[in-house]
Amino acid sequence: MLVNKKGSLIGAVLAVSIGILVINVNSVIFQGIYDAIIRDMSDYRFGDIYVYDEERSTIQKSDIVLINWFERIPNVEAATPRLEGSATAETRIAGQEHEKFNVPVLGVDPISDIRTSTIHETVGEGQYVYARNSIVVGESVASDLGGCSQTGFFMSGGTDPTVTGDSGQDECQPVRVGDNVKLIITDQWGIDQKKRFIVTGISGTAGGQGFDRSVIIHIDTLRDMLDRSGESRSIMVRLQESVTPYEATQIKNQFLQAFPNDNLKAETIEESAESTLSGFRSGIAMINLIGYFGMMSSAFAILTIQMMLVNSKTKEIGIMRAIGARRKDILIIFIMQGMIIGTVGAGVGSAMGLGYTTYAKVTKMEFQGSLALEVNYNWQKIGETAFLAFILAVIASIYPSYRATKKQPVEAMRTV
Amino acid sequence: MTKIYGEAETKVTALDNVSFSIKKGEFVLIVGSSGSGKSTLLNMIGLLDKPTQGKVLVDGFDTSNLTDNEISAFRNEKLGFVFQFSNLLADLTVLENVLLPSQIQLDSPTDDKAKEVLEKVGLSDQLFKRANKISGGQAQRAAIARGLVNNPTVVLADEPTGNLDSVTAKNIVELMKRMARDLGQTFIVVTHDRSQFGEVDRIITIKDGRAFEGEYQTEMEVVV
Ligand SMILES: Nc1ncnc2c1ncn2[C@@H]1O[C@H](COP(=O)(O)OP(=O)(O)OP(=O)(O)O)[C@@H](O)[C@H]1O
Ligand SMILES: [Mg+2]
Repeated sequence: MLVNKKGSLIGAVLAVSIGILVINVNSVIFQGIYDAIIRDMSDYRFGDIYVYDEERSTIQKSDIVLINWFERIPNVEAATPRLEGSATAETRIAGQEHEKFNVPVLGVDPISDIRTSTIHETVGEGQYVYARNSIVVGESVASDLGGCSQTGFFMSGGTDPTVTGDSGQDECQPVRVGDNVKLIITDQWGIDQKKRFIVTGISGTAGGQGFDRSVIIHIDTLRDMLDRSGESRSIMVRLQESVTPYEATQIKNQFLQAFPNDNLKAETIEESAESTLSGFRSGIAMINLIGYFGMMSSAFAILTIQMMLVNSKTKEIGIMRAIGARRKDILIIFIMQGMIIGTVGAGVGSAMGLGYTTYAKVTKMEFQGSLALEVNYNWQKIGETAFLAFILAVIASIYPSYRATKKQPVEAMRTV
Repeated sequence: MTKIYGEAETKVTALDNVSFSIKKGEFVLIVGSSGSGKSTLLNMIGLLDKPTQGKVLVDGFDTSNLTDNEISAFRNEKLGFVFQFSNLLADLTVLENVLLPSQIQLDSPTDDKAKEVLEKVGLSDQLFKRANKISGGQAQRAAIARGLVNNPTVVLADEPTGNLDSVTAKNIVELMKRMARDLGQTFIVVTHDRSQFGEVDRIITIKDGRAFEGEYQTEMEVVV
């Protein structure tokens, strides 16, 4: 009522809004990357629960028993065994021998893997492993086997023509569907086992979170070659969408109780991702801290603007006091103004933040071909940020409002 | 009443042992040269400032021991103010300005009284205009309306015509005198232009912080 300096008020509102927007954008981007990494780790490697042997490199117990146990539980969507090994890969294109080097090998059970993991969706060309002699080659491996490897290649995760330039690049031809790849695997007794595969698919993921640097074959083929019949490296379990982390932990514990003497270890995705993401989390905390510092500067902006408004309204305060306004009345006017700035600023800032979040979600925002952000509306965080901004705006108004009450009517009347 | 500003070398005795009383319904003019202490006197009467010595009694009530909040309430109920400049809140309408005194005390005052006084001062057609969109003369009329709206014991005006051309000033003077007559309203008006006011009930001259009865400096101190 006392104050109508539109420009200053808009400035104060913007200060609040921008503080909120910064925090919202930060959280969309960094929480988005964090969640995207967890999502990909869960989808490609660890599922919602990940079971492995605590001491040995493989689980001795039959995967069928373990998987049957899991699939009996209503909250479990599917479970699949996986086995890992490493091989020397060779390929021959047009009668010419190409590169020859070591690659990690993943053995999957095609039928249950499709239900448990989304790794099959990363096969852009061709199709997933379906036969005992089919092989899915990671994008990077396909490129390397074709002699296309180059410095910076693994980092860029794609065939960016600007990075090329090595001599001999002209002849480079990545492995394609239908090509032959030979794997030489040393079994557990130290004997080399060789087998020829037909490439059925090329797998590539944004950000290289998948198996871009591996090859994927049928788990039974890998078991044969390693002479590890019935063994698995891990069991990957997918839970129903609606299962909470708490329920996941319960299922995990139930499982461990069911198999107490098998040296098995089980982890929820949060536990599996823990070591990978702990560093990232402190990064997020850091970024949030910067956001809150931004908000503190908004508070200082409000303090300054309110101070300015109070001083520019010396006369008006004097008139109000002369005609009977108490100190308290003056205080309320300016605190109210702070509340209005806080409310409007929080509203506008949250709206802008939500706009950005929605934009990021709808456009499946990603950075330079890296993994797409996992964008979620974190209503609690949005609410807390808005509330914090409001409170800061009110707190920042306290001192200017107090100064306003100290203005004497006579002093105020002297100003023309 | 005595008012001393500052200390030691910068000490100014703005009011020096001034003492007088004013009757209900009187239209009193306070005259004197610049710096003589007229505004200081009016501010003391208006409880906008406290005298160094002495006290102000209104309706026989000693105001010297009132708390800050009580003074505010007292000003609101018993005193009306008209100043030379910036009397009104620029962002409010004329009507809202006149409603302010009652708004400060009550949460939901009625418009009736405010409209009534605004009509008396001849502004019934300007109710919803913003205060910064009306002329200086109209602004002073609105200020007088605001001063009258709570039926105060006394209306205090410091150079109410000081910022106006002579014709407008004349009209404002007439308005105040008419209000005094019609409503029996007590007015204490400070001016440095005695001639604008014509015949008034009483004149007090301030000279060097001392008060004298009458228009001329007769060296005869005001007797209570
Ligand atoms: N806040 C103050 N601090 C110090 N001295 C003051 C203060 N207010 C007024 N004075 C001094 O007190 C004396 C009386 O001032 P006052 O404003 O009452 O004069 P006035 O009669 O109203 O003058 P004018 O006609 O110019 O308005 C002057 O000498 C002035 O300088
Ligand atoms: Mg003066």
